[in-house]
Amino acid sequence: MDNMRFDSDKIKKMVEERTIDESAKPALEITLKEGIETVWDRLEKQQPQCGFGELGVCCNRCTMGPCRIDPFEGGPERGVCGADADLIVARNFLDDLATGAAAHSDHGREVVETLYETATGKAQGYNITDTEKLNTIAAELGIKIENRDKNEIAKDVALALLEEFGTIKNSIQFVERAPEQTKKIWKTAGIYPRSVDREIVEAMHRIHMGVGADYANILLHGLRTSLSDGWGGSMMATEASDILFGTPEIKETWANMGVLKGDMVNIILHGHNPILSEMVVEAAEDPELKKLAEKNGAKGINLAGMCCTGNELLMRKGVPVAGNMLNQELVIATGAVEVMIIDYQCIFPSITQTAACFHSKIVSTSEKSKVPGAVHMEFHPETAYDTAKKIIKMAIENYPNRNPDRVKIPGKPMKMMAGFSVEAIVKALGGTLKPLVDVIAAGKIRGAVGIVGCNNPKIKHDYGHIQLAKELIKKDILVVETGCAAIASGKEGLLLPEAAELAGDGLKEVCKSLGIPPVLHMGSCVDCSRILVLGAALGNALGVGIDQLPLAGAAPEWYSQKAVSIGSYFVSSGVFTVLGIPPKIFGSSNVINLVAKDLENVVNATFAVEPDPIAAANLISDHIEKKRENLGI
Amino acid sequence: MKTVFVNVEKCIGCRHCEIACAKEHSKNKDVLSILNDDPQPLPRISVGLGIDFMKFPNRCRHCDPAPCHQICPTGAIYKDEELGSVLVKETNCISCGMCAMVCPFSAINFHRTPVTNTVISYKCDDCIDRQKNGREPACAEACKTGALVFGDINEIISGLKQDIVMKITQDIKGIEPAEIPENIKIFQGIKEKIAQLGPMPSSN
Repeated sequence: MDNMRFDSDKIKKMVEERTIDESAKPALEITLKEGIETVWDRLEKQQPQCGFGELGVCCNRCTMGPCRIDPFEGGPERGVCGADADLIVARNFLDDLATGAAAHSDHGREVVETLYETATGKAQGYNITDTEKLNTIAAELGIKIENRDKNEIAKDVALALLEEFGTIKNSIQFVERAPEQTKKIWKTAGIYPRSVDREIVEAMHRIHMGVGADYANILLHGLRTSLSDGWGGSMMATEASDILFGTPEIKETWANMGVLKGDMVNIILHGHNPILSEMVVEAAEDPELKKLAEKNGAKGINLAGMCCTGNELLMRKGVPVAGNMLNQELVIATGAVEVMIIDYQCIFPSITQTAACFHSKIVSTSEKSKVPGAVHMEFHPETAYDTAKKIIKMAIENYPNRNPDRVKIPGKPMKMMAGFSVEAIVKALGGTLKPLVDVIAAGKIRGAVGIVGCNNPKIKHDYGHIQLAKELIKKDILVVETGCAAIASGKEGLLLPEAAELAGDGLKEVCKSLGIPPVLHMGSCVDCSRILVLGAALGNALGVGIDQLPLAGAAPEWYSQKAVSIGSYFVSSGVFTVLGIPPKIFGSSNVINLVAKDLENVVNATFAVEPDPIAAANLISDHIEKKRENLGI
Repeated sequence: MKTVFVNVEKCIGCRHCEIACAKEHSKNKDVLSILNDDPQPLPRISVGLGIDFMKFPNRCRHCDPAPCHQICPTGAIYKDEELGSVLVKETNCISCGMCAMVCPFSAINFHRTPVTNTVISYKCDDCIDRQKNGREPACAEACKTGALVFGDINEIISGLKQDIVMKITQDIKGIEPAEIPENIKIFQGIKEKIAQLGPMPSSN
């Protein structure tokens, strides 16, 4: 913000333009008053942003370039190598998609590795928590269960899952969960995923100069790569986390920045991977540390989640969540955060600059994700519990450095219900999905939509998520959510059974009879795999492919390459998906036609782009009604 | 009269013109060595964001008569006799700021220059050295979308006139005039909606 200062009316107006999260507004005001730079300021400073990049027609891969294609007539139509707009757009899209798939899958690998270390007795403080899930997955993988110790089974499960990353058997076991009809579509289209790493490596190969010039062929490989994420890397992250830390069950917790405590040591757990943060949750119960907190003048230790690490912890442990991606700087601006522990993904590289304006410390924990200005305390499964204790101790010792005059914790947190794993949903329905199938068939619930994905400062924080969810439930469409979308709904109160009042009559009746909210929190962004499992189970229950079900996906405020992969595995799995932000493909009419129209002939589903939540809800509702008609319900 | 003509609907905000301008006015005319220049050459053209993510590349229009030229009390701002470009004689500038105050395009900044090592009037020089060697200004050369076009103003306008005639007659015949590609139109429509949903300037 340099030395720019605004008058208070201007600040109020800017705050209203930037977020609908009431708990975030006072902190946002502080950043504007004090000139603490945030993501919105940086977005402003980046304007105007380059249209070649936005349209996907900028290629900066080799040193004959960089090249760009004139989106109008008259300028260059091909890069130096000869690539036209279609090819450049397709290569860029595949690059983004592969980056996203890699992020999810590498996270998955780390969880599976921790499962292996746990099973072999090398991980400190970890246990096999969910033996039922362990046995289910062992059976799926063809691993013997009878008369075996859980650690022995877990070791074999971990090895079998690790093998999936580079398997030479040309298929991934979890893909078999999909309905036969869906798998047939993949086989016909030639997009059956072969192994997790292979598809990503091949994607990197295909975006090299001179590896084909057919945009459609490149994008088809994108679909295959996305499937290896959704039904591979991400699904392994979800399942291995469930085995280690427990499959989520329905529980109540709290959301928004009001979960911070004025008289306690506040520790924010930010990022995506639950493996260290689970240990922090455990270590925070240590009586020695509690005593140390008191000695330092605090009433105790208060943990709060952020982004998907937050989602992982609230789903399993009921740890309150302070916010989603655009809350990360604002939570520090409350002046009440002693330590923010980061693992990886979606952590602003400038977060230490924000922290430097306060007493807050950023603690990086992953060898992959170091940030200048952070205290690096590297996490390893063998020493996880000790590391967790050390970090908490550092936070406690930082508590006396807090400046009470600068502490501004917003009002009350919002109560929320979470923990809707597929297993928890089935349990709530009395042991089978049949009641859900019945209410969908009867038309009380018209269908279900997965609202997923990030925040993006180009759209007012949480507005896209909340408006879309509200519109859909009004139309008796059940909403399931993950990631930043789910946190947005938590803060807004949509994850409460009382929110059923906002739903149409049919959905309201179903929610009230089950005591559930009309919007279900299904977990972190890798837990979009739970949505796939739910879709597969519904398809199998009805004897149809996922593409025939009255389902849709939406990412109203997405920003990340991970969302490109998620959107693509939704569409590849037969789920019509509406994006609120345009992907970087509009420089090619052919690519637009492929993803918005022609994919219908390949995977029976397409993408649409619609930023306006009301128009998006109408598109989704029309799609769901068409699917119902085709099913004859 | 030759000028750099702006086709605003074709500006996509890439800012190649800004980089090309800074490079042209750097010591070695090389992007990589710009960072070593002291003072650093700032671009004299700037691409700004308007409503609905529309962009406009703004530079000195080299007016005639030029308000800055008329008001300059020391004769620091003068006109090149051959090309009519409005230029600054650095050693005469007293940094009074009058030129900036009267500029209808806010195209005059103040920046330290190597000639005097003082902060003085700093504006587009129409790439006069290039022009005198038969080359077009660096910004127009850098523009790949046709948003900045250098040429005789009447020739450019007559081309645009012909476009208008084509558009009107196509319209009468019920043919969709195709001056902006369909994919770009859709994209612009999406951006307009995003502007309305977020903090960036929008049309409503």
